[in-house]
Amino acid sequence: MSDILYLIIYGFVVTALVGFLASWFERKITARLQYRVGPPLLQPVYDIVKLLGKETLVPFGVSKATFLSAPLLGLASVALVSTLLWVNTLNPGKTFIGDLVVVLYLLTIPSMSMMIGGFASRNPLASLGASREMKLILSYELPFLLAVFVPVIKGGFSIKLGELLSFQAQNGVFGGGASGVLAFVVAILCVQAKIGFVPFDVAEAETEISGGLLIEYSGSSLAIFKVMKNMLLCTLPLFLIVIFFGGLRFDGINALYSLLKYIGILFLIIVIKNTNPRVRIDHAVRFFWGPVMVLAILAVVLAFKGL
Amino acid sequence: MLGELFKVDNFSAFVGTFAAFFTVLIAVYSFGFMRGQKGLARYYLYIALTLISSLGAIFANNLVVFVVFWGFLGFLLYLLIEFGNKERTSATARKSLIIVGGTDAFMLLGVALIWLINGSFQMDELAITLDNKFAILAYLLLAIGAFAKAGAMPFHTWIPDMAEDAPTPVTAFLPASLDKLLGIYFLGRISLDIFQMNDAMNMFLMGVGSFTIVAAVMMALVQHDLKRLLGYHAVSQVGYMVLGIGTGNPLGIAGGIFHMLNHAIYKSCLFLSGGAVEKKAGTTDLEKLGGLVKVMPITFITFLIGSLAISGVPPFNGFASKWMIYQGIIELGKNGGGWWIVWLMAAMFGSALTLASFMKLVHAIFLGQPSNERAIAGNKKQEVGITMLFPAVLLAVFCIIFGVFAYAVPLTMFIFPSLNEGVAFDGVWNSGIATTLILLAIVLGAIIYFLGRMAKTRRTESFVGGEFLEKNADMRLSGVEFYNTIQDVGILKFIYRLAGKKLFDIYEVGGKIASGFTATLRFLHNGVLPTYLVWCLLGMLAIFYVVFK
Repeated sequence: MSDILYLIIYGFVVTALVGFLASWFERKITARLQYRVGPPLLQPVYDIVKLLGKETLVPFGVSKATFLSAPLLGLASVALVSTLLWVNTLNPGKTFIGDLVVVLYLLTIPSMSMMIGGFASRNPLASLGASREMKLILSYELPFLLAVFVPVIKGGFSIKLGELLSFQAQNGVFGGGASGVLAFVVAILCVQAKIGFVPFDVAEAETEISGGLLIEYSGSSLAIFKVMKNMLLCTLPLFLIVIFFGGLRFDGINALYSLLKYIGILFLIIVIKNTNPRVRIDHAVRFFWGPVMVLAILAVVLAFKGL
Repeated sequence: MLGELFKVDNFSAFVGTFAAFFTVLIAVYSFGFMRGQKGLARYYLYIALTLISSLGAIFANNLVVFVVFWGFLGFLLYLLIEFGNKERTSATARKSLIIVGGTDAFMLLGVALIWLINGSFQMDELAITLDNKFAILAYLLLAIGAFAKAGAMPFHTWIPDMAEDAPTPVTAFLPASLDKLLGIYFLGRISLDIFQMNDAMNMFLMGVGSFTIVAAVMMALVQHDLKRLLGYHAVSQVGYMVLGIGTGNPLGIAGGIFHMLNHAIYKSCLFLSGGAVEKKAGTTDLEKLGGLVKVMPITFITFLIGSLAISGVPPFNGFASKWMIYQGIIELGKNGGGWWIVWLMAAMFGSALTLASFMKLVHAIFLGQPSNERAIAGNKKQEVGITMLFPAVLLAVFCIIFGVFAYAVPLTMFIFPSLNEGVAFDGVWNSGIATTLILLAIVLGAIIYFLGRMAKTRRTESFVGGEFLEKNADMRLSGVEFYNTIQDVGILKFIYRLAGKKLFDIYEVGGKIASGFTATLRFLHNGVLPTYLVWCLLGMLAIFYVVFK
């Protein structure tokens, strides 16, 4: 029963609220950087409410069940992985649902659900966008995995999130060492691609393939994808904090540190987004398999040396 | 006497049970798929004989008896492939027979070496340490037999060819389920019981496994034919099993054997669903399919479940066994050394590549736009008959049960009793709670849907920048070209070109070497009199030189 409460409170309510705030923060900063005023605080919520009020369009000849259930699958997986991360962060002693490998696999499902939705749209632009999303996953997956296993190497070969956290509580955070810094740089670039932000927004590329894999989505179904993407803005930084910066704590002064960690990572993501143009998909593949991969290997080698 | 030749233990009983289970399913499926073909009596006879030989090999306790039954299987494989009606079927059947039969000869040599070392053929009496050259050679020779049967690299090349040219039920029967069970069963037997593994040999197994995973899935990524693509995955997945057994710790070995079972389930499910598509659409060329989701909804669901399971998406069964193998690999890290990260990356990245190629398949067959060349017009529902649907649906249900209740059902009932050692997990995966929560989350998401105006959906034309799809027949992505970008990156381009020339095919290369020899001999015997006279003269000179020097 408490599991269900965890899901509703942490998985949906907290994650979505933080996600909406993060989305507003991102849009506001972007606007300020472009000398615009920017949206009001509740704008992400208004967007969702507006979309829920619109009718849902389904293209001719499309399987309605597949088309409309793809967003649900994505939302559910993000909710599950958020619940997992929150509960493990707040109670490191409790081994809840899964470990690091489970988190890595669950984090692929949102992209996968968007691809299935795009494929189901029966639209060549959506298919093109979805195929780019898949190629993007292939390009960032290898460096991302290497970066994520740097904490495992340094933390005594445990893949339990709780043990990684308590190791950091005793011996200092993984992001403190040379290998940790490198791995974090690699991981944040990959997270940028996972969220689908510029410069890695090739799958949606509004100005080129008009929304790509989301092109046929409208109304409630689009609203769910938007909620999912906002929630990812909470979940993915949280994941980085857990494995590189010792998780979140809310007692006394630690609450401030936790807030700073989150805002810091979010800010980095926003800066990368606003200072880069969109890359082409083959450039993205070369970028991740080339320089980023070298950095990731270097991080792993340093971790083996104990740095 | 019989007690010496055959022996039943937990491991062989479990593999034997599933061999029989798959045979029954394939026989049921064949009623629908093979209907109207010639020589069906012979077909079912061969299927039955295959089961008998497999059971003989599985329960054999004497290595000679084992090799005899194992040899029969290679021959039956040849006979079953001949039921295909493609152009290259005979050539493929011959290729399979030569690779599988040829490696049987290696095994025979390995068995002879074991006799030389120990003077015994009794499998349960052997415990050979790998400390001398003969023992190592004997292990390698036997392992080659297991690799060829299961399809690990470099003895894999018969599987993709056969997947394309043999009848689909035969492919689902042998390389996808029975041959995997047998090959990995035998690899497990020699690695766990007959020989005492050492670190170097484990390293060798893990190297072969990792290489097989990545190389085969990279080939799968660029295939244009449904069955050939699935064939490459039948190779790639063997890598996980070999890798798991090669870790040498109980967790990894249990994972490898569990993966063998899971693979047999989801790969048969995929082949059977693919066969249903082939039966209805008349082709397996990905260019000529597309948009079948409304025509064959049940087949779509079974295929999708199989795809998610093979890609290791939680909570399906493929994830459970991969997760165990990963833990086995990470366990190695505790003993020092850095190779484990290479094996781990190969296995985990292989999983992403698998997802990629199955996304392509799902798009090219069921989703996306239909091809103009598709044999079935329109969107009217037309599924295959119940005998073809039922096995695929049953296997899809197994994919879910063996994933969600991984600990309670397959692991406790079949896998753990097969191993002599206890297994303790390093990580955490409560598939039961996770599945409950994900279902609940889907329900909660659906509530958000109904907050909106979900009940009233409207059908529209799709938007392609103002163009009309009906008027532009060429505005279609089949999915075949999805990964061309990957194919053109750096060194991969070069490797793919060499693979295209079949330079990595042991059969083709072996064939070239053999024909090199015959070409030399043919040059000597060209039937021209002056040439023969020259040879005579040269021979005479040589003799004179030797005699009178």
